[in-house]
Amino acid sequence: MKSTIRLSVVVPLFNECENVSHLIGAVRAVLGEGQDWELVLVDDGSTDCTCELIESEVRVDARIRLIRLARNYGQTAAMQAAFDRARGQVIVSMDGDLQNDPADIPLLLARLDEGFDLVVGYRVHRKDRLLTRKLPSWVANRLIGMITGVQIRDNGCSLKAYRRELLDRVHLYSDMHRFIPALAVSTAGARVSEIPVRHHARRFGESKYGLSRIWKVASDLLALKMLSSFRERPLLMFGLGALGASMLALLSIALTTLTFDRGVSAPSSYGYVYPSIALVWLSLAFFLLLLGLVAEVVISGGRSTGEMSLPVVREWT
Amino acid sequence: MIINRGRTGEGPRVRVAELVMPTLQAPGLKPDVSVIVPVTERPDPLAELFLEYSEPLADAGLNYEFVFVVEPRNRQRVVPLRKLAERGQAIRVFEVGHTVGESVLLMLGAARSRADTLIVLPAYRRVDASALPELYVKIFEGADLVNCRRNPRRDSWLNRLQTRVLHTLVAGLSSGRVRDVGSGVRAMRREVLLEIPLYGDFFRFLPVLAIREGYQVEEIDAPQHASDAKTRVYSPGIYLRRLIDVFGLFFLARFTYKPLRFFGMIGGTLVVFGGLVLVVLFLQRLAGEPLAGRPLLLLGVLVFTLGVQAIALGLIGEIIVHFNAPGRSPYRVQADTAAEDSLTVVSDPAVQPPADAARAQIGGPGGRTAEG
Repeated sequence: MKSTIRLSVVVPLFNECENVSHLIGAVRAVLGEGQDWELVLVDDGSTDCTCELIESEVRVDARIRLIRLARNYGQTAAMQAAFDRARGQVIVSMDGDLQNDPADIPLLLARLDEGFDLVVGYRVHRKDRLLTRKLPSWVANRLIGMITGVQIRDNGCSLKAYRRELLDRVHLYSDMHRFIPALAVSTAGARVSEIPVRHHARRFGESKYGLSRIWKVASDLLALKMLSSFRERPLLMFGLGALGASMLALLSIALTTLTFDRGVSAPSSYGYVYPSIALVWLSLAFFLLLLGLVAEVVISGGRSTGEMSLPVVREWT
Repeated sequence: MIINRGRTGEGPRVRVAELVMPTLQAPGLKPDVSVIVPVTERPDPLAELFLEYSEPLADAGLNYEFVFVVEPRNRQRVVPLRKLAERGQAIRVFEVGHTVGESVLLMLGAARSRADTLIVLPAYRRVDASALPELYVKIFEGADLVNCRRNPRRDSWLNRLQTRVLHTLVAGLSSGRVRDVGSGVRAMRREVLLEIPLYGDFFRFLPVLAIREGYQVEEIDAPQHASDAKTRVYSPGIYLRRLIDVFGLFFLARFTYKPLRFFGMIGGTLVVFGGLVLVVLFLQRLAGEPLAGRPLLLLGVLVFTLGVQAIALGLIGEIIVHFNAPGRSPYRVQADTAAEDSLTVVSDPAVQPPADAARAQIGGPGGRTAEG
């Protein structure tokens, strides 16, 4: 059974009672009667009728599969659960609220077959509010591109297609589902392509996003920047920080000597401010160097060995 | 900071010797319930404890075993248990090679117990023994973990105040479902204790950790034991440890997978504050006031560097999380309809051996029937 599944469509769901039947119907209509696909629906601790509806569908169609998580873990964990358990050679992820159109799946697959590991959709004619949705997302996409060096038009679009080999190398945690392309490129060496996809306005249910994620995105971006630039050599990053702090310490020492010359008639605090500051910067430099060593220890100890920890490679034919 | 997951059923790597082998039960016979008693500090007399708490289990018709896990300093206290075991009582005693703490004792006991339902019982009497069969029935009915709340209480207002304060601190993490984490008497499916990594003093918060893991946690009331009613005032160090435990619990619950959110919040605030001080001083310097005479400059730089340190620590945390990510799953799957898949673990609450006698005597409703 395992080998016959070619495509897994994975959808994380949280309280999508009104949408789930439409979703299943739409996917089935696009993928047809063949038995070589599965639709993996991950219930992320829904409290409404989502699960009951899916279970009744599972009983009549074995290609539909329900994975229930023990509680609400959030979208990233739900997607990782789906990736861990999906059996297809190709995995397509999409939203559960019908904003993505399953009719785009064949286009994604065709592009994947051209030799990519990851195909990312970008929504054209987005049907969302300008000020609270489109504008922040435009800024965020620019920012992500600038910081990570991976230019993606629409990181927020869930409709993506992945090769199994890639997902074996990318592990999501925290809220990293927003940065899958950047993470896939910088840590697993994925070849990424983009195609335009359709976007529908949310028909039923409520949006589960808000503007409050800006701080979270900023913090995740900083982590991602560090991982993409210094994943192999964290000591370099901390060393650069230590170097900067040392320069500031030197500057303070220079200023000390300058103020010493004319400090004879100055108030009493003149003598110690700059030397103290030099010491503060020096202690920061020392601290950062030690932390860099800790990071090296972590990486040498935590790195898993074997093919899975290395980037995806394809042989030329 | 990082909890190791995917622990096998072996329990922690500590040398353990089994002192008493059960003589009553054939090796292949599986008990309905294993009662695990970690014996560390100030235990009550263990033989009396066993007799008192095993009686209601026997009355309910349950096939039980008592698993005592003992630190070496309590070696003399288990001698009476040996006599009971020789007379055919279902007692097993394991001795650990050195002092390891209650969390490790619990995990060792869980790894060596044989029943699918475990009851954790402190070595000092906290609740009335009649609660034990009810705990078992709750598990049988489908709960993953059942906490026993001391209610009605008999002890002094001071003890109650202590419980109340601890509960208030923890309430946010347990969604109000656990109202007495201090009782220490809990029943759980074996899997729960094997899959939740316990260390340090976190055994106290087992129900809270179970809620975080998505297990179904319930609570029952049981009268407080008369001998638990002594007023207890601990040394200040103990209260400090509890406070630090709760703080650690909060941190792990919220930020285990996103340390930079926590450290970055602190560090970012400090950097901004320090930066503002420096900017103000710089502007005043432009207005002609010499910087060298301003001790405030030292404060600004100090706060700024503290912020940088906090952020750097957060980045270390992110590196740890990133490189540990392949070996840990940030979720727990409750059910997967593609159950023939080798990856799948479907937890079914109704696979335990039925204890009809227990249910008949306690009058609890029948267990759930298995659904395909």
